[in-house]
Amino acid sequence: MSAHPLAGDFSVEASAQRVRHYRYAEERLMRTLGGWIALTPELPVKLLFGRHVWDCAQHADLWGRRLPELRSPAQQSEPANERFVRFMDLLDAREGRGESPQRVVGVYRVLKPHLVATYERHLAAANPLYEPPTRRILERCIAEERRHVAAGAAVLERLLRDDDSRARAATWERRLYEALAEAGGVTGESPTPPLAVDVAGVDPADDLVALDSVFDAGVIATDLRAEVDAHARALVEDDLPALAGQIAESARVTVLATYEDLGPAGRCDVVAQARVGAHRFVGARRSAPSPRRSVPEGARRQPR
Amino acid sequence: MERPIAYDKLAREDRFVRKRAREIGEMRIEQGLPPMADLASRESIRERVHGILVGELQAMEGAGRTVCDFPDAPWEFTLDMARQVWDESRHVEVYLGLIDHLGGYVGEFPESTILWRCACAEDAAARVAGVNRGLEGLACDVFNQLVHIARKIGDPIIERAVDFVLADEITHVRMGSKWLNELTKGDPERRRRAIEFQETIDERFNLGGVRLDGDHEEVAISIAKEARRLAGFTDEEIERLIRSTQRSPVY
Repeated sequence: MSAHPLAGDFSVEASAQRVRHYRYAEERLMRTLGGWIALTPELPVKLLFGRHVWDCAQHADLWGRRLPELRSPAQQSEPANERFVRFMDLLDAREGRGESPQRVVGVYRVLKPHLVATYERHLAAANPLYEPPTRRILERCIAEERRHVAAGAAVLERLLRDDDSRARAATWERRLYEALAEAGGVTGESPTPPLAVDVAGVDPADDLVALDSVFDAGVIATDLRAEVDAHARALVEDDLPALAGQIAESARVTVLATYEDLGPAGRCDVVAQARVGAHRFVGARRSAPSPRRSVPEGARRQPR
Repeated sequence: MERPIAYDKLAREDRFVRKRAREIGEMRIEQGLPPMADLASRESIRERVHGILVGELQAMEGAGRTVCDFPDAPWEFTLDMARQVWDESRHVEVYLGLIDHLGGYVGEFPESTILWRCACAEDAAARVAGVNRGLEGLACDVFNQLVHIARKIGDPIIERAVDFVLADEITHVRMGSKWLNELTKGDPERRRRAIEFQETIDERFNLGGVRLDGDHEEVAISIAKEARRLAGFTDEEIERLIRSTQRSPVY
């Protein structure tokens, strides 16, 4: 391109088309994050999505309001091609329980880093004399998306605690990136879509809530704790006589039958305690085969 | 993504224990306790604050589903709902802080999902009528009471924080009033169904019959008439709500 200060990479029409592609990605992501909030158990992830739904909505809105200034109808989204729609469908489909890491990887290691890199390239190419309105939107989106990427990294670090989960996340990341590359990225023009993953110097603190908040079994009263521990031990040792002695008579048959169906537990951790007046509900998680169960109704501790 | 999702897909960390609202109420009554925390002690305030925390979580989840479930709704509607998601996420953070301030912990009291169920209405107009006007209107009453109690016991942390959340809730009710009208324009049958849904919610969430018309000192939870007027409720609607509280003892 010419070095003349009035030279430009994008025509008005091409610029409007890009804006519609950006709007498609931001709008679609906003809806995906909004839908995932209820499906995501981990509080810090849930709240991260909650924070970012509004930012994505504002980005989509800013792009949508820019369109009439580029001789196009306002608030229209347009995917670059069908392959980009398929990429978004693939990302969006991880709605099962236990798929939070895949959700975070898809958004914060693939799509958002790609948006940051694409916006940065656009900003570098957009003419500073006649494209400042677009440049201002790009600058805002870049700053916010970079903060999102940094926040996602902090959350993901806590979600991926072992080699298996890290390997699964890496496989998913590669698969998504391939789909993104098939689409040519958000603009449909990049066979090797750029990713901006370097967020050094970005402070995501405002987006991180309850990051290290976990249940503290110390809240369980000492006497109850001893009984809960004995019950957990009996479960792990498959000690049915001990279990029978610990369960209220009215619920004994049902509870023991349930335990027998489940088989021996590898380990049993206390993960919750809630109370209603003097009643206590203690939640325990077995390592296998069932992920988690509350102490059955009839077995609950009676008021003291 | 599946749209809408089933009620039972609401995901929680292990530290939350889920119970039916009716069951919790019955257990309290069995023990000689009022059906809902009465704010008479710091511990009962903590219980109420925990209930609000899970309510805010479900409100965030519900608003998020509304953003997701209605791609053909007007853009400005989606934008308002997205803003509400952000507001509710900040409210969750505020209430997490208040639970800490009160010496409690997340999961200390069981969660009931009755609010979430109301947020799963299949029609967008019914959702905003039921959630934004019904439930967020109820939140105005509850928060207004909490601000009053905080002032009375000299707790400026609760007073200030909840008062700001209350201001947001009034905004959400106002959004509900606006979108109930917009979404049902030219469709009186849809409007009728949406308002009916809201009225069933007003009647069901009567807080054990303690939400009534009257001064803070005279009733357990006073209907926040001024906040409701600010939020777009008509005097007629407020009167109807008052009448409904006089006949419904549920929850």
